[in-house]
Amino acid sequence: MYDLSANDSLKEKLTILSDAAKYDVACTSSGVSRGGKEGFLGNSVAAGVCHAFSADGRCISLLKILMTNHCIYDCKYCKNRVSNDVERALFTPEEICTLTIEFYKRNYIEGLFLSSGVYRNPDYTMEKICETLRLLRTKYKFNGYIHVKAIPGASEELLYSAGLLADRISINMELPTEQSLSKLAPNKTMKNIIEPMNRISGTIAGHRVAIGKSARMERCGINKHLVNSIFGPEAGRIEGSSDQPFLYPAERNDALLRRPFAPAGQSTQMIIGASNETDLELIRTTQALYQSFDLKRVFYSAYIPINDDDILPGKDTPVPLLREHRLYQADWLLRYYGFGAEEILTKDNPFLDYRVDPKCFWALNHLDIFPVEINRAPVEMLLRVPGIGPTSVKRIISARRYGNVNFEMLKRMHVVLKRAQFFITCNGKMLNRTPIEQRFIMGQLTDLEHREVYQIEDSLNTGRQMSLFSDCNLEMA
Amino acid sequence: MTIFTCAPGWEAMLTCIYEASESKLGHKNIRLLLEPLGQQSFLDEYIHVEPDEVKAEKVATSIIRGISYHFYQELAYTAMAYEEDVLDNIYHVLLLGFRFGENALKMVQYRDIIRNREIRARVVREAERFREILRFHQLGNLYVAHFEPKSRVASYLGPIFQDRMPSENFMIVDDVHREAVVHRKNEPYYMWQINDREFARLAQTEEENDEYTDLWKAFFDSIAIRERANEKCQMSHFPLWARKHAVEFTIDERG
Repeated sequence: MYDLSANDSLKEKLTILSDAAKYDVACTSSGVSRGGKEGFLGNSVAAGVCHAFSADGRCISLLKILMTNHCIYDCKYCKNRVSNDVERALFTPEEICTLTIEFYKRNYIEGLFLSSGVYRNPDYTMEKICETLRLLRTKYKFNGYIHVKAIPGASEELLYSAGLLADRISINMELPTEQSLSKLAPNKTMKNIIEPMNRISGTIAGHRVAIGKSARMERCGINKHLVNSIFGPEAGRIEGSSDQPFLYPAERNDALLRRPFAPAGQSTQMIIGASNETDLELIRTTQALYQSFDLKRVFYSAYIPINDDDILPGKDTPVPLLREHRLYQADWLLRYYGFGAEEILTKDNPFLDYRVDPKCFWALNHLDIFPVEINRAPVEMLLRVPGIGPTSVKRIISARRYGNVNFEMLKRMHVVLKRAQFFITCNGKMLNRTPIEQRFIMGQLTDLEHREVYQIEDSLNTGRQMSLFSDCNLEMA
Repeated sequence: MTIFTCAPGWEAMLTCIYEASESKLGHKNIRLLLEPLGQQSFLDEYIHVEPDEVKAEKVATSIIRGISYHFYQELAYTAMAYEEDVLDNIYHVLLLGFRFGENALKMVQYRDIIRNREIRARVVREAERFREILRFHQLGNLYVAHFEPKSRVASYLGPIFQDRMPSENFMIVDDVHREAVVHRKNEPYYMWQINDREFARLAQTEEENDEYTDLWKAFFDSIAIRERANEKCQMSHFPLWARKHAVEFTIDERG
């Protein structure tokens, strides 16, 4: 195995370790608002700031690197698994700190995303990560955003330290079921992932209560108006099984920094397409994670075939980008639109429709409650109309206070009328004379979505010559 | 129709509003425009208004006392925009403001309010974009950033970067409107009008590239996933006009 020694240039290390980190999806700098302090460098904005967009169109908000890509584990899907022959490198804590500080001062990044392969053992790796963060927060006086990955299996004191030093802490779930985890990631167990997740969520809640906030994380304001929201009062917290939900105290120096524990909450990510889970299972797991562990985000990562392995999809399998896109749409429905997992998908129909987005699909199957009158409908009903989102709902509600709303105003409020027109009336009239009929509306909507679907699928270069026999059902007898 | 015109700038705009309403010609018979003017009509009368501190102060005070400070702030945001009709729009929104109070800004039933919201949203979007894509160059212990906005958003960026880097010396230079945010370590920032000599000297700062610029370019290349390449998506998030000063897109001439 080719191993870079400490003397190799910073540029080579950065190239190797950012290349190794790129499959981690989370690159958000959001969730916590913190003003700058004299003598320190940096602040944090709750909405997050994207600083650049890479060639794959994803935003670059944080300096996303691994501390090392040396790893003792052998997860089948991972590029850095021990059985792969790849270039390996290791950053020193000082190098990570200077890179972060210098990039931050030039306004290239909003903070640091630090993950790592398991070097020697989980505790040693986590200790190195904590050492880096401690240096960054104390010696380099960095006050910007830090997202840290917790290594499954690391001890609780170290997790607590990491949470105090960082803004967001996350543990990757990778696969939603025990079976696929034992098949594809033989060194990881569900218990090793779920337990620290539960502890972290308990500790976050404890710290929030201690400073007079509610135990649960803040959610998009629209959820307050939704009765059936998964974050609503009736949903309640599903308690984890652990008796002791708090983490043990960390090193004294970290506690003396007087920082809140992971103020931007925790997140996780799941791989799509490496094993054979259904969308329903994924969405259900997502909802359970939001409700039980109060996660801020669940990310999906379309599986990219980089390793040759019998139990993995072949190397020429297309990346399931459209599936990932639809899953994110469903995730948004959970967090911003007051939908539940069971409403989006059912047991008989466990996969999301690829032709139209999940909200349109839901509306098409519930045509009995449409059309909705814009001037009188309640918030939760307005939110269920395709083409109307939380921002438009706010605009409609505030405009209704001062007079009637008509289609021209809706257009100016950036309501997507090409979708919404089939489902709404303004002062009792629809925009055009369109029948409320499933087949008709489906035809119209798939026509609209066609371009989007084509764009996503086209980027995978899966184009092929059509076949008269298989595509047009003209199979010879 | 009588058309009142003034140079861009908040003080001049407020003076223009003062003169327009003092003319007592009737709101329908006047328009307010920013200079430089395009094609002029021979049927209209053009009146140029010079900025006057006392008159501007009067308008500002009456907005803050008569409506609210929030309303005043919102109008000041709108005034950064480059749109042709921005001054006329501010005038009409102000009339609605005096009639209905601060809530006038929510009354999208009025076309002027909708237009005002459009302009304001665009200005804020533009300013927020530069918050993301501004790139600083290091010169000793000073950091300098150049940018070319359509609207005068430098004053919007001042407080943002002061909060971000309170203990650094930095300058944000607007190459189009020739104004700069100047911030000294641990002091409040101030705005500065740049003259030609200063401008020529500042223009050279962008040639200074250090090893961290190279490192950033290397990071920018390696962080993209080849299998997911999507130029269209990148283009819509980071359009070509915005890439002028972004170091990751500039080609290194040194090879």
